[in-house]
Amino acid sequence: MTSDPPEWAYAAALASLPLQTHRRLRLLITRGSPSDVWGKILHHKIVAPSLEPHVLQAWSTASSCLPRQMYERCMTIEAQVVSLHDAAYPSVLRADPDAPAVLFVRGNLDALEQRRVAIIGTRKATQAGRHFAASLGQQLSTLGVAVVSGLARGIDVHAHRGVERASNDGATGKAIAVVASGLDVVYPREHVQLWNWVASHGALISESPPGTSPEAFRFPLRNRILAGISEVVVVVESTEAGGSMITVREAEKRGVTVLAVPGSPTLHTSQGTNALLRDGCAPVTHVDDVLVALGLDTSHQHGFVDQRETPMGLCADVLGQLVGEPRTIDWLAICLGESVFAVAVALGRLEQSGWVTQTSGWWEALVAYSPS
Amino acid sequence: MYAAVKTAALLGAQGHPLVVEVHVGVGIPGFTVVGLPDESCRESRDRVRAALLSSELPWPNRRITVNLAGAGERKGGAAADLAIAVALLVAQDVLSQESIEAHAFLAELGLDGSLRTVAGAAPMVSAVAMHDVVVSPGNHAEALIASPRQLRAVDTLAHLVRCLRGDDAWPSITQIEEQEDVCVVADLAEVSGQAWARNALEVSATGMHHLLLVGPPGAGKSMLARRLPGILPALTHEDALASAMVFSAAGVESAGALRTSPPFRSPHHSASMVAMVGGGSSYMRPGEVSLASGGVLFLDEMGEFAPTVLDALRQPLEEGVIRLSRARHSLTMPAKFLLVGASNPCPCGDIRPGMCRCTDSDHRRYQRRFSGPLIDRFDLCVHVDRPSADALVHAGGGESTALVAARVLAARNRAVDRQGCPNALLLHDQLDIFAAITTQARALLHAELEKGILTGRGYHRIRRVARTLADLANDNDVDRDHVDIALRMRSALVRPHEAGSYR
Repeated sequence: MTSDPPEWAYAAALASLPLQTHRRLRLLITRGSPSDVWGKILHHKIVAPSLEPHVLQAWSTASSCLPRQMYERCMTIEAQVVSLHDAAYPSVLRADPDAPAVLFVRGNLDALEQRRVAIIGTRKATQAGRHFAASLGQQLSTLGVAVVSGLARGIDVHAHRGVERASNDGATGKAIAVVASGLDVVYPREHVQLWNWVASHGALISESPPGTSPEAFRFPLRNRILAGISEVVVVVESTEAGGSMITVREAEKRGVTVLAVPGSPTLHTSQGTNALLRDGCAPVTHVDDVLVALGLDTSHQHGFVDQRETPMGLCADVLGQLVGEPRTIDWLAICLGESVFAVAVALGRLEQSGWVTQTSGWWEALVAYSPS
Repeated sequence: MYAAVKTAALLGAQGHPLVVEVHVGVGIPGFTVVGLPDESCRESRDRVRAALLSSELPWPNRRITVNLAGAGERKGGAAADLAIAVALLVAQDVLSQESIEAHAFLAELGLDGSLRTVAGAAPMVSAVAMHDVVVSPGNHAEALIASPRQLRAVDTLAHLVRCLRGDDAWPSITQIEEQEDVCVVADLAEVSGQAWARNALEVSATGMHHLLLVGPPGAGKSMLARRLPGILPALTHEDALASAMVFSAAGVESAGALRTSPPFRSPHHSASMVAMVGGGSSYMRPGEVSLASGGVLFLDEMGEFAPTVLDALRQPLEEGVIRLSRARHSLTMPAKFLLVGASNPCPCGDIRPGMCRCTDSDHRRYQRRFSGPLIDRFDLCVHVDRPSADALVHAGGGESTALVAARVLAARNRAVDRQGCPNALLLHDQLDIFAAITTQARALLHAELEKGILTGRGYHRIRRVARTLADLANDNDVDRDHVDIALRMRSALVRPHEAGSYR
């Protein structure tokens, strides 16, 4: 047999045991060094009295070459493995009562040294919401704040697209993504490019060993890590029963500040955020609101200027009607007493200068976000 | 013991002259029909025999052979019944060959000797229009469309024999006056609100631009589409004739009389390929695309149609005719229709941002039902929403059909005077001549193309729609505003998912 795999490979092996849960893993890791615990399991010794017999039964069938396999697997995808024993384990999570015992990381954990703001929200977001998330991500990154998110569809992915754009312009704020599946299981598939970008420009974190598929129960668990490493959580859009609300509850447990973006009361996607505001969360309408929550000085010029052409005349009226709620051309025409053609032309001008966007006949106003 | 009588057969929307030959000779008594008759044609033997006997006319108890000349082509239908009966009478010297020489006969026979109507009377009569054509009274209006040399409508075989012998005068034919708009199209004034969609209808009718209406259930998509024929310019005599021929051949609405109002066809989404494009039986029945020729083909719930049926529309959409090829024959039928599709925006129907309950994969799955090449052929894609309370109260009833139709006609005439065809039929290379755009407008289109929002095909379609908008506004030049409106009238079918419009 070749030389023994390093200690971290044993931690990875423990994490990939069958029937493993984050609680059992934590129990194992706190019982000694990973290699010791691994040896005990292989030799059917009692590691902890609270482990159920059927679990021990399942573990006893585990292959002795699992640490070696995990070692090679992690090396292939260039993943780093840190357990509670390691100095590299993020200090912010050490104090967490429900901290993951082992973390798989692609990229650099130094990103966690920056100020960290999570931008989260629903997968089925409105165009305006996606745009707001991207804009907020871009501005925070420009100000050197790391943006934490889950790389899900909708708000999550757009927050990081904003960071990506800012980074291309030389911004320093990193991207931190906490995902539910194994680091080599890209979900959803279409985000593979951004997934790799985050790994090279920040940190891509998961508590699941490589090869783990994105089962539904892993997402709420992922959310607790996301809340655990953030200083502020901004909910851009969420329904009242959305997954974002789990993150919010986890954040509240940990005393992390939760902020919410207000929206029209008639939209499903604003019901969650509006409920948060009603319950006393501070609103976010501008990046400064987030900076105040972080305790950062906002008096300095951060130089983010809206470069869009200022709408004049009918364009301004149309934009005024669109703020807050999506509208149709017919509605705008009646409301402004103009012909539909005049409104269509105005909308065309506004769309070209980046003020509005449309989804199947519904027009939404957008916040400033510098297009490429 | 031999006789030859003229009649006609139907293939597609066209009639073909046909000669019925009868030979009555010695042999075991029997009756054979040769010349590739189909089942309904072969059964004529029983009908003819019964009709002759009930009319107290002689039936030869000898060997009878009937040949539908043109032995290589398949014949269908019962329209040759009367010709066979008359030929038998000539062969028995009940009638003289001279008395029928100038006539052609087109009718089915009842067992009691009465003449029955047949499908396709108009095209068949036009095939033998140089003769005196005898039809049943029920077909006489249809037959007049083909304007034969002389039309005779007789109700029974016995009466026909008396007329041919000169014992009785031919029944007089009442000339039918050209009826204006037999079918009444619902008025556009009944649609309240929906200003945007109404304008799209107007543009569609003016330039013959294919229109896709997208909206939730109850938004009034069908209501709008059904009012489109009302604002279309009336058919030219030529188009009305072609349309009447197709209607007659298909056996629908045999009311007769030339209609100048454009036809409106809305087949159910369970329609088969043959029902849509035509063919099927031995005489190739015209399909919905041909029936809608000159008017509107409305596909409600377009996503529910079989994908193969929808894709079959692409060729007629390009060429304005449908070419059908079968083992024995190939033929061309008119298919110059204005396609109007209606669809829900997504499975849940409520596309409003933040309200839609569908996932992105639901959207993608729904979008896959429409083939890209077909969607690309729609010049206009307009979203229709349920009118809000404001719209219902403030907008009241809109303009009436008559008002809009007048504007459409004026704008259409401008286009036809300029280039000889509606704007949607402008060729690529004609665009710069007849639909030149200002520099500003060109820059705008260029920007859209660069952003990847517009495809090459889309670019030309936008320019044609912009031309129509300019015609409606009575502007000579196509400027930036027209292009802007045209762009808004061709918005994407389903919301852009993850990609986002600013990526």
